[in-house]
Amino acid sequence: MSDVLASLRHLLPSERVLTEPSDLEHYGRDWTRQYPPAPLAVALPESVEEVQALVRWAVEQNVALVPSGGRTGLSGGAVAMHGEVVVSMQRMHRILDFDPIDRTLTVEAGVITETLQQAAREKGLYYPVDFGSRGSSQIGGNIATNAGGIKVIRYGLTRDWLAGVKVVTGTGEVLECNRGLVKNATGYDLRHLFAGSEGTLGLIVEATMRLTDPPRAPQVMVMAVPDMDSLMQAFAMFRARLPLTAFEFFTDKALAHVLAHGGKRPFDSEAPYYVLVEYETPDEATSEAALAAFEHGAEQGWLIDGVMAQSETQAAELWHLREGITESLASRTPYKNDVSVRVSRVPAFLADMQALFAREYPDFEVVWYGHIGDGNLHISVLRPEAMAMQDFVTECGRVTGMLCEVLQRHGGSISAEHGVGLLKKPYLDTIRTPAEIELMRQMKRVFDPHGILNPGKLFDS
Amino acid sequence: MKILVGYKRVVDYNVRVQVKPDGSGVATDGVKLSANPFDDIALEEALRLREKGVAEEVVIVGIGPADLTAHLRNGLAMGANRAIHVTTDGAPQPLTAARTFLKLIEKESPDLVILGKQAIDDDANQTGQMLAALWGRPQATFASELAIADGKATVTREVDAGLETIEAELPAVITTDLRLNEPRFIKLPDIMKAKSKPIDVIEFDSLGVDSGDHLKTANYAPPPKRSKGEMVEDAAGLVAALKQKGLL
Ligand SMILES: Cc1cc2nc3c(=O)[nH]c(=O)nc-3n(C[C@H](O)[C@H](O)[C@H](O)COP(=O)(O)OP(=O)(O)OC[C@H]3O[C@@H](n4cnc5c(N)ncnc54)[C@H](O)[C@@H]3O)c2cc1C
Repeated sequence: MSDVLASLRHLLPSERVLTEPSDLEHYGRDWTRQYPPAPLAVALPESVEEVQALVRWAVEQNVALVPSGGRTGLSGGAVAMHGEVVVSMQRMHRILDFDPIDRTLTVEAGVITETLQQAAREKGLYYPVDFGSRGSSQIGGNIATNAGGIKVIRYGLTRDWLAGVKVVTGTGEVLECNRGLVKNATGYDLRHLFAGSEGTLGLIVEATMRLTDPPRAPQVMVMAVPDMDSLMQAFAMFRARLPLTAFEFFTDKALAHVLAHGGKRPFDSEAPYYVLVEYETPDEATSEAALAAFEHGAEQGWLIDGVMAQSETQAAELWHLREGITESLASRTPYKNDVSVRVSRVPAFLADMQALFAREYPDFEVVWYGHIGDGNLHISVLRPEAMAMQDFVTECGRVTGMLCEVLQRHGGSISAEHGVGLLKKPYLDTIRTPAEIELMRQMKRVFDPHGILNPGKLFDS
Repeated sequence: MKILVGYKRVVDYNVRVQVKPDGSGVATDGVKLSANPFDDIALEEALRLREKGVAEEVVIVGIGPADLTAHLRNGLAMGANRAIHVTTDGAPQPLTAARTFLKLIEKESPDLVILGKQAIDDDANQTGQMLAALWGRPQATFASELAIADGKATVTREVDAGLETIEAELPAVITTDLRLNEPRFIKLPDIMKAKSKPIDVIEFDSLGVDSGDHLKTANYAPPPKRSKGEMVEDAAGLVAALKQKGLL
């Protein structure tokens, strides 16, 4: 083993090859906590050439590489537990180019999502993919997971903003996919293969992201909702009447956790469900329409109470009620499900899912929230203090198997936006057919013939 | 008991302000405007006093152009009983504002006037103090705690040395500090209700207040740009760099 390390140290300056136990632990895991980290080393390349050299070295030494972004992933995609070398992109964080005519920013893969958002704002533009981990996740990680988030209902997923991507494949070759073109009808669009590839096809080293106009005077409301049917009715109404940029929901249990962590209670009324609605107010008429919509929803009994932010500070406080959930639960190391169905199927699916959880998780606290406007629910199951981690994970795995059956019935997916990684790997075949999975395996072999790129993630090759 | 609350509209705290190219002021076109945060705190405190049964009526006061109405409606939605809108072309300077308040005090005879310790646009921190002097009544500024009993206000103030507690005979002027309270969210049903609450519109000129400009703005300029940090290789490099800048 020390020979392998010695040759790695020839490749990069010694301060960019980390082997301290604390570094191995830090870089060997993501936001999931059930996989014990055990990488061989951590490499911090600073250029495309260094990434290429690392890949060639890995092929020669037959060492697996784990591409690593901000490690905010929730499916164990960036976990290294079998003596892999973690390739952290954190030193590749330069903004390379802004093009005002194309309205694109070209950046290295290690640029933090929030840095990209700010760079766009400084140019009077907007990068709309956004979520709670924006301050730590990297654009490369966002592409590799095709991250979604809180603005999907209006702006789509990371894929929709990807104008071009530069990758180093498993042979060390550099591919430049699409080069920022709007139109390019020259065969297979390889760029889109890398969106959601979870580090299994290539290391993303640069990306060109499209930008758009900033939203016009966004306004935020949080409302209390008596039941799930009302929530879907309210959703249909708001979407028909307002230029929505977000429609998020959370339960009373989720709210309780955020409030216990310093969140500010929106109003005294209590309800089982809450929604956060964000919309643009380009003119006075839209502001009026929003109030009229609330009034109508209240008359119909869909909405019990609600508040509206009066300042940016209050808007942030209201958003925290939704965005603070993941963090407020983190110390409980929850087991997370991230499921989706077509929006039209949400009520029927929910009824079945609630019945399943009531039956199978009678003693567990189950916290739900999510991007209901996209048909996407996050479900965090909290471990009872007295239960051992391993027993808990086994139990949740068993119920997740049953959840997959419910999802199959409703044509849904076991991973809406968090990827498959290690956590959802056992369930991939309940959502994708054997023929599809075999094709994916073959594709991986084409891009990574030596099987060195994040092996064991997504599927076993 | 009646409470008069100053309710000013300013550029939102979170907006990064831009100086107009000619240096004559700060750009406000298309910029998010919100209540002065200290005024929201003042209104919140007044509403709490009313909810405790200490006060019966809370009246908010806005001094500014015609489009201030929407802003005053927010204050009414938050819970004020009514609003007074003194119409002017621009925002008044502190002394003019204090004199305007004095006129309204003569009309309204409030038992308590609560203002923000400052407005975050000009950061003058003068109106409350000037008003108390003009009115000849006590002032308790930078309040972080307030209790009213037996015709007296007991006010804890944030001062350099720590906290100071003083008593003021009512009527008095109190100005709010950040830690006095956390203002509530405005409820959607209350936004509807606020539409029917009264706003008295008074033309500034009809009050007979001397509006002579006492302060002249010479120029606005953005703060100097912070230069980028420099990376040095090691401690020796740091020493050399500091020496080069004449700091060592
Ligand atoms: C508080 C919180 C809220 C979140 N909210 C959302 C949400 O709303 N929506 C959502 O979609 N996700 C959400 N996530 C999940 C996560 O933030 C996203 O999946 C994010 O895109 C991961 O980026 P990262 O840089 O941290 O990737 P990592 O976790 O480091 O890696 C994720 C995967 O991408 C691969 N990878 C990373 N960088 C590269 C690269 N340069 N080249 C090739 N492969 C690479 C890794 O190998 C791994 O398989 C949330 C996470 C947290 C902690």
